[in-house]
Amino acid sequence: MSNEITIKIDGIEYKTQEGEYILNAARANDIFIPAICYLTRCSPTLACRICLVEADGKRVYACNAKAKDGMEVTTTTEEILEERRAIMEVYDVNHPLQCGVCDQSGECELQNYTLELGVDSQSYMIPDTKRETIEWSSILHYDAGLCIVCERCTTVCKDMMGDSAIKTGPRGGEKLGKEQKSLMPKDAYAMWNKLQKSVIVPSNGTDQTNCSDCGECIAVCPVGALVSKDFVYTTNAWELKRVPATCAHCSSGCQIYYETKHTSIEDKTEKIYRVTNEWNYVSLCGAGRFGYDFENRVEGKDKEAFDRAVEALKKADTIKFNSVITNEEALMLQTLKDEFGKKLVNSDAYAFQQFLRAYSKPAGQILYGSDFKEIMKTDFVISVGASLRNDNPNARYAFNNIQKMNKGSGLYFHPIADSLISDMGKNIVTFAHKVGQEEAVLYLILDLFADKSKLAEDTIDYINSFHSTKTVIVKEKVMKSITETVTDKATGESKEITKKVPEMVEKEVEVDVNELVTLVGGDSKFADTFTKIMKKKETFSLIIGEDLYYHPKAKNLANLVALIETSCNMKVAMIPPKTNSLGVALICELDESEDGYVVGYNEIGDFEISALGSGDFDIPAMNQQEGTLTNMNKRVTPTNSALEYKGYELNDLMKSLGCNQDLTIDWTPLLASKRGFISANFDDLPNGYTNSGEENRGYALENLMKRDSDFEVNKFDDSIVLDGEIAYRCNPQRQFNDFTDKTHQIFESFSLYASPSKAKALGDKVEVNFGKESMVLGVVADDRMGGDIVSIPDFKSDKDVYSLFGRDRYKIVTIKKV
Amino acid sequence: MSLEEFKNRNVGEQSYRMLDLEHTPETGLGKFGQVAKRTVKGELFVGLWVTLREMKNALFGGKMHTIKYPLEKLPISPRYRAIHDMLRLLESGHYRCIGCGLCEKICISDCIKMDTRYDENQRKEVSEYTINFGRCIFCGYCAEVCPELAIVHGGRYETASEQRASFSLFEDMLTPIDALKQQKEFDGFGAVSPNADENIKKTPLAY
Amino acid sequence: MDATVLPEVTSLGVVIKAIIILTIISAIAGFGTYIERKILAFMQRRLGPTHVGPFGLLQIAADGIKLFTQEDIIPQNANKLIFQIAPAITAATAFIALASVPVFPDFIIPEFIPILGGTFVPSIAADINVGILFVLGMMAAGLYGPLLAGMAQANKWGIIGSARTAIQFLSYEVVTGLSILAPIMLVGSLSLVDFNEYQAGEFTEWLIWQQPVAFVLFLIAGFAETNRTPFDLLEHEAEVISGYATEYSGMRWGMFFIGEYANMITVAILASVMFLGGYNDLGFIAGWFIIILKISFFFFLMLWVRASWPHIRPDQLMWLCWKVLMPLALVNILITAIVMMI
Repeated sequence: MSNEITIKIDGIEYKTQEGEYILNAARANDIFIPAICYLTRCSPTLACRICLVEADGKRVYACNAKAKDGMEVTTTTEEILEERRAIMEVYDVNHPLQCGVCDQSGECELQNYTLELGVDSQSYMIPDTKRETIEWSSILHYDAGLCIVCERCTTVCKDMMGDSAIKTGPRGGEKLGKEQKSLMPKDAYAMWNKLQKSVIVPSNGTDQTNCSDCGECIAVCPVGALVSKDFVYTTNAWELKRVPATCAHCSSGCQIYYETKHTSIEDKTEKIYRVTNEWNYVSLCGAGRFGYDFENRVEGKDKEAFDRAVEALKKADTIKFNSVITNEEALMLQTLKDEFGKKLVNSDAYAFQQFLRAYSKPAGQILYGSDFKEIMKTDFVISVGASLRNDNPNARYAFNNIQKMNKGSGLYFHPIADSLISDMGKNIVTFAHKVGQEEAVLYLILDLFADKSKLAEDTIDYINSFHSTKTVIVKEKVMKSITETVTDKATGESKEITKKVPEMVEKEVEVDVNELVTLVGGDSKFADTFTKIMKKKETFSLIIGEDLYYHPKAKNLANLVALIETSCNMKVAMIPPKTNSLGVALICELDESEDGYVVGYNEIGDFEISALGSGDFDIPAMNQQEGTLTNMNKRVTPTNSALEYKGYELNDLMKSLGCNQDLTIDWTPLLASKRGFISANFDDLPNGYTNSGEENRGYALENLMKRDSDFEVNKFDDSIVLDGEIAYRCNPQRQFNDFTDKTHQIFESFSLYASPSKAKALGDKVEVNFGKESMVLGVVADDRMGGDIVSIPDFKSDKDVYSLFGRDRYKIVTIKKV
Repeated sequence: MSLEEFKNRNVGEQSYRMLDLEHTPETGLGKFGQVAKRTVKGELFVGLWVTLREMKNALFGGKMHTIKYPLEKLPISPRYRAIHDMLRLLESGHYRCIGCGLCEKICISDCIKMDTRYDENQRKEVSEYTINFGRCIFCGYCAEVCPELAIVHGGRYETASEQRASFSLFEDMLTPIDALKQQKEFDGFGAVSPNADENIKKTPLAY
Repeated sequence: MDATVLPEVTSLGVVIKAIIILTIISAIAGFGTYIERKILAFMQRRLGPTHVGPFGLLQIAADGIKLFTQEDIIPQNANKLIFQIAPAITAATAFIALASVPVFPDFIIPEFIPILGGTFVPSIAADINVGILFVLGMMAAGLYGPLLAGMAQANKWGIIGSARTAIQFLSYEVVTGLSILAPIMLVGSLSLVDFNEYQAGEFTEWLIWQQPVAFVLFLIAGFAETNRTPFDLLEHEAEVISGYATEYSGMRWGMFFIGEYANMITVAILASVMFLGGYNDLGFIAGWFIIILKISFFFFLMLWVRASWPHIRPDQLMWLCWKVLMPLALVNILITAIVMMI
């Protein structure tokens, strides 16, 4: 795809990529072509038709016409301007003139383009249709009256989120008169005709969307039709101060803006009103968009607590923390380990660190070779060991986007069936394998994709041992000619008619049977399906999920992943379990278990240092501090403090323990002492995107190459397969940690999640027994889940779910009704 | 003088009249002549007559100029910019302010603040609105920018008070509901221009 | 009834009359300020004082209280003694001048009044045969008030004020003296009572008809002597703040004003007595009443003029005095003398 070509836009030559849309080529070169309905990473909708340009003398839509070498593009001609103006006039027909109260408050594309195209009079009219304001969910507020049906929301929901929760539905408006067609430009008429018929509705037929409440539709809405319910009419956009930051909830580390303003006339303290994003280049999840009010408000510096915290740190044998922590803080904790010999315990990062280390040896690099931006460009994606819907929204968006945009295919291996994934596209095959069979899955991938010449002899032999040939009887459709005599009733004449009738014929065929497919739960027709979905696929990628890090055979799995990466020409990326697990894994030397006096850092311990407001010593939450986070795209990205924090932070404790860095961000360049990081000052780190969508945030980790060494992959071990009542440690969508739980717009409860049938069987409340300990949980039915495995969230640190599960992500439990 | 004439600032169009003044005499004789002439003309008595006439007018003609200020007040110019008034809709009595925040934005002394919310009737409700009159410079931009003619300058110019907040609450500025009938349309700064109809292109509504 | 008055009683009567004159003139001076404010206000179509008492009448009392209770400030570098004495000079000379001015006809206290009933009262306090000279002399001596006040207060406005006092009062003293010389020649006496007697009878007997020029000159000079607009150069606000009175406050300042108003009344009486037939009965109107009207008219005239005319520059003042008024007065004397000789 990366063939550079030259096109001429308005007489000036520009370089672009073969197959790039004209619109994107123009945007990358800072040329303005108006477009309302187009979203950069989604498929062209062709709803607005305003991006009309002339390419080589023909009128095309810049958003879906691909650039060809030597193409000459004219962005504006008299006719095009007339057409565009007519389109804007049509958009303005019956659009309420209530800009004063509209939440878009001037950041309105309808307004901008109306002015840009100089619409100062209206030539069209049609009776208006009453359109009601509907609340689609506890988050989404849709004012149909303001909607211009550009379908950006439906497009992003389908192409990016994968929810496909909304679609266009009938508006019930008056039909356009035929005579209009002759009175106005062609495209404007076509656009109007469509506009007059449609409005956005939830795609499940009710007036409630059943989606992951990510709010991306709100972000992309060019007018004020879609707004979050909490934000409606609370403030004008121009009053909000935008603080560029990095989302602190999961390892995606999306770029976000916290938008802040004083709380009210009486209360002057800053408050975050909403979170916005560069929606053309990054998509948020519900937690990122709505989970913003997790700040830790303190009145001032509590000297007594500070002294106690210093004492506690001196006394501590172990510091227990989780990965909702900046790189700088992690480095501080590691410094405590280096200087004072404290043990560092981090339940989520430890397994990941072990896995990465096991992987890095055979792979010859400290980090996985690819990232999710790369993966998004591939056209065949495989996900292993990740509950994509819950573990990481951006991995899920990538998986979905590949299906929609790259006409791609996917394989999804996970013990829990997920209807969201299978709904993402027709070319997805899902495998609900048994817990513990991940090794077999990776062998299957090796079998399907590996360049066999790159594999060791015994590995090939091992793989081949699963293959056998079998003679099967296949039914085939054959067309047969039948001649019939028909008598015409009216005339009494007889006629002979020859018909072709399909007939099923049985045939014996020799088939290659792959034992591995059957083993991991594939059906017998997989071989055929696989050939079908493999058609025209060129680039392959593999997403590795958290299940593998917690697998008893994690080391072997890591070796297998490395083997797949080297032998299958496959882009591999891993999902770090929590926000900054990758950073912590690189920065800290983690210990397996805690002992002695434990200081909990956002975790339970004998002394709790916490940003949740419930601990013994308060520290700022992620939206109150500066620092960097390492995201799953192997980037170190800066985050800023959106809200004031009046108390002490970890660096103050470090100062009194003898580590004299003036500010927390003075630790940023010191990260260079750890592998992958470079010496960069915090204030020099950019945080944005260029016009062409290039990520210009922080810096990319260096994936240092190490000397290759031989490694062995072991045969898979079937004895670890779990059977029985299985609990899976997995958070509901939009819940990641204590901080998301603290926010008021995220409602998912700390309960046991099960498929509807299972939930029905379990009742309302259950006691889950982990052997030694047990916990009582409510039961919530998750209608996208399938199978009998239940999910138990880990987002509350005080429930200590990690220690209940131990070194596993799946655990055999006994569940009792309570 | 009508408002239009008053607003006309094109110097030269008004009918000014030049006074025909005599030259000051240069010579002693000339000066003496002037004195003699003025004495004989009785100009001094004209002066006396004028004052006497005015006294007569004042005492018996009812033309006393004095306004007994706190008891009597002169009507002020519609262009006068005193403490703001928040107007109501004449039909429904609901306040006109839609909470668009433009006054808050344009205010050059940053003295207007408002809180808004989504109310039960799916409307934007102004839950709090204050003007800090310690800061307000009465520039009138808020009245000019207001799309609903909701905030206007009223006639309350007696702004001495013990508390700066005395005038600043929404309820204080809002036309009392029982005085709705007396509410006058503001025709000062920011009001609809007399030729507004000519300046807009109308949207067709033929059905 | 014969006027058999014992000398003791006479001297006692003089004291009584002096006290009466002092009180009444002081009161009138105060009342004059009220009248002035009212008249000026009406002429400008204003209301003047209205709030204290009915029609603002008690404004005088309010002003009095204010003047009496105001702090008496004496500037640091002022000549204390002279600064303190100066206002008293103005007030004193003004009142002393009134001693030889007859206002009412002589009368007998009615019988029904106990003790004093039936006593003959000559209305003049001191009927001296050089009454006019005495009055003019006293008024001329009044110049020391502003002069000393201005010089004592160590203030440049005061100095300018006192300098103006000197030139203005001295210059116009000449005009005053010359202008009434002609009537004196006609009457042949310096006693104001004789002036009054000379004009007894019909109003055609009034001296104004014989001496119109003298009357006008006297009136103009009178304005200048009493420091009234258009000749209020001594304390013209726009030029010299308050002139000689700049540093004065409280009752000392008040005394200047009492003096000024007393002088105004004096000039009004003089003009009435010397030119407008004095307190002689006019037809059926009693003399005491008609003179009140005449005095009131002149007082009103002063206010009227103040309301109507602008004040003049010092150079114009001098020009008027020495080049116009004095020559006119001399010519008038000459003509009178010639007429008398013929």
